[in-house]
Amino acid sequence: MSPFEILLENFLQALTAGVLVGTIYGVMCVGLGLIFGVMRVINFAHGSFLMIGLFIPYWLWLLFRIDPYLSMLVTAPALFGLGYLIQATLIAPLYRRERAMVLEPLSVLMLTAGVGLIIDNLTFMAFGPDFRGITLDFASKALWIGDILNINYTRLIAFLSSIAITVALSLFLGRTDLGRAIRSTAQNRDAASLCGINVMRIYNVTFGLGCAVLGVVGCLMIPFYLVSPSIGLAFGVRSFITVVLGGIGSIPGCILGGLILGVVESVAAQFVTATSASIFSFVIFILVLFFRPTGLMGMKV
Amino acid sequence: MGGDGTMASQPAPRNQTPAIVGAIALGILLLLPLAVKDEYYLHVCIGMMYFAYMASAWNIVCGYTGQLSLGHSALCGIGGYISTLLFINAGVSPWIGMLIGGVGATGVGVLVGWPCFRLRGPYFALTTIAFAEILRIWTENTEEFLGIQLRGAQGISVPLRGERPWLFQFDGKAPYYYIILGMLLAVMAVTWWMERSRLGFYLKAIRGDQDAAEALGINSTRYLLSAMALSSFLTALGGSFYAQFFRYINPERNMGLDLSIELALMGIVGGQGTVLGPVLGAFLLTPAGEITRATLGGKFPGLHLVIYGLVLVLAMLFLPRGLIQPIRRLLGRRAAPAEGEADLA
Amino acid sequence: MPLLEVKDIGKSFGGLQAVRRLSFAVESGEILGIIGPNGAGKTTAFNMIAGYFPPDTGAIRFKGEDITGLKPWDISQRKVARTFQLSKPFGDLTVLENAMVGGFHHQGSRRAARRKAEEVLGFVGMGAQAAVEAHTLTATDRKRLELARCLATDPELLLLDEVVAGATPAEAVAMMEIIRKIRDRGVTIIMVEHVMRVVMGLSHRVLVLHHGETIAVGEPQAVSKDPLVLKAYLGERYGKA
Repeated sequence: MSPFEILLENFLQALTAGVLVGTIYGVMCVGLGLIFGVMRVINFAHGSFLMIGLFIPYWLWLLFRIDPYLSMLVTAPALFGLGYLIQATLIAPLYRRERAMVLEPLSVLMLTAGVGLIIDNLTFMAFGPDFRGITLDFASKALWIGDILNINYTRLIAFLSSIAITVALSLFLGRTDLGRAIRSTAQNRDAASLCGINVMRIYNVTFGLGCAVLGVVGCLMIPFYLVSPSIGLAFGVRSFITVVLGGIGSIPGCILGGLILGVVESVAAQFVTATSASIFSFVIFILVLFFRPTGLMGMKV
Repeated sequence: MGGDGTMASQPAPRNQTPAIVGAIALGILLLLPLAVKDEYYLHVCIGMMYFAYMASAWNIVCGYTGQLSLGHSALCGIGGYISTLLFINAGVSPWIGMLIGGVGATGVGVLVGWPCFRLRGPYFALTTIAFAEILRIWTENTEEFLGIQLRGAQGISVPLRGERPWLFQFDGKAPYYYIILGMLLAVMAVTWWMERSRLGFYLKAIRGDQDAAEALGINSTRYLLSAMALSSFLTALGGSFYAQFFRYINPERNMGLDLSIELALMGIVGGQGTVLGPVLGAFLLTPAGEITRATLGGKFPGLHLVIYGLVLVLAMLFLPRGLIQPIRRLLGRRAAPAEGEADLA
Repeated sequence: MPLLEVKDIGKSFGGLQAVRRLSFAVESGEILGIIGPNGAGKTTAFNMIAGYFPPDTGAIRFKGEDITGLKPWDISQRKVARTFQLSKPFGDLTVLENAMVGGFHHQGSRRAARRKAEEVLGFVGMGAQAAVEAHTLTATDRKRLELARCLATDPELLLLDEVVAGATPAEAVAMMEIIRKIRDRGVTIIMVEHVMRVVMGLSHRVLVLHHGETIAVGEPQAVSKDPLVLKAYLGERYGKA
């Protein structure tokens, strides 16, 4: 093959990889975007929740040989519960307090950072620093498109499922009563409260939902992703970037943001080291914040 | 240390108790190395004061402008790297290199701060993280730049030269102790002065309501950047000290998000926007962390961070203005961070 | 020469044209009221004059000098002051310290700023509350503090943004008195207001905005009978405090 063809093939491969992983980033952030859009809370523990969402299917597989796609039925509710609990017990009091006095709105950010610290390090204490993964039978098999594009089955499943989740979530928010309640609380919490919506309960449910999504994503990712207690912060930061990039309050925006990040990093990784590639994500993030603070598709900040 | 617990049993005149307590604390701090000979404990104390210093430097901008910077570690790293590289490659004494590093960090801080201060709340925090991470990742992946060895993730070691005071190296720990103590007292003095100056007054207004402050004639950009410049300079000095004391710096430890969070944690838990708050936070958390690491660290690695996280969560829930608040009330001062007795006339 | 000249200013947000080709002039010593239904562009126009954001088009001249697009602090330097709809006092500071913020910049020394602050607090009737912490104030007192803060900057032009919003009739009357006294000190006033009784009672002239444009300008009596104005306000209740 000519050098040009090799370059093209590499580029296409990188593009595909970027799209695949970007969609997953996007779905990961939908939860974060939901939480921020509804409650204006930056959940610094987001990455830590994802880490739990990866560990649960890992252990279920290791101990009981339960298929990760099946363990979603356990992981998602478990994370929903955890998120609900944390919002209801730790964050809600701050919320109630902030209405009364003039307080730093950043206290919620630091609180969730503290929660993240606790989760990350308890996990570290329990499981150690090693990176762990599982190997499914068909994990090494791939789908070939033409002669050049190679898509791993596990990633393909994750990609398609991510799209399904996004669609399902959009439908949920758009068509169901609970979804509408969530959206109206996001727009104007006082008005929603006047309409009889129990705002605190909506907050709890939203937080739980945002975390439940992470549970599903974790199950999708564990077949091809290595988990360790140290990934929490990196994922969290990555998620914030995606949410801001795509725009607060917009689910397609999150996916778009994730895609951009995934593709940019993937293509960049062809030229620089993989870790360096993340610099581009940060640069894009900064540029977007300065020149288009509402994000690519978001509503007003 | 932190002798705030030693109180007169009847309410003393407001202006005397804090002064007496402060003098006792200072005395203890000054005489400590004479009493404590064990190098390990001295090392721990130096660590305590280093963090108290860094948290205080962080506090100069974050406590008084209402913005949360989670990228301060980058400034620490810039200071440390500049002074160390100048030392290794050009033989410049770290005393001077420190100042140059400070200037460099100030430049970066102001340059980055200028567009960032437009952003409010969490966006500002996220942007500071982004800038710091860019620097860290770049440094981690760069072996050599313009002919200078950066050694990437491996970090740089400061060569051992023995007892050379003018090259900022000493054989024992005691000299380092006094240097960091001096730096800590200096940063506290700077904070105290700033609180009572025009700059401090304007910052309080900006923090209260930036739009209103601007409409009353306050050039918020100028004053926010002034605080940023001061904080950056001092943070960088701390980074140079770190390099000289531990004789090793690397991107992960000195430019990483973990350090930034730790500084913010200590400043906030202790009490943002006060002179003593960050010092209190550091004096409480650093030894707690060290003791945990020393006793249970083998069986439960990372436990000290769990404790930090727990303290942070509890502080945010119950004492959002920091541990310093109940102490202030005990000493009879106003609950707000602003010092009522700072006679503005 | 008019104190303030606004020529053809316009501003759009996204696709929405909030203000289009607005022109008016304000003479020294007068009180100009700006009224209009919700969304008419009053606050946008206000914010452009105050430097909160620059107009897309047009120019603003104050005492002959072009101040278009200047930053709020530069505009304050030129003796233009403004209040905010949502008045937030500087919570950590006392009432006196609040009033000193404006004074500091314009007076130079702490002592002078303090004296000025005491004077303006007395003027608005809050002298007794000087040592109170600002975040404990009632809503009306906050408005008065806001006025005091502005007055400490010795303005020649004062922009009032809905300064009687939410006030009881008695409070509104008290506020009107203060505004008259301010005007008697030689300060020119532009007030954006919804409360008809206040605006009509105080203003020498009234400007009516609708959809970002002027639809009427003139003396209060004339404007209140203008058919265009009545049409714009159809359905709105007058003078509800």
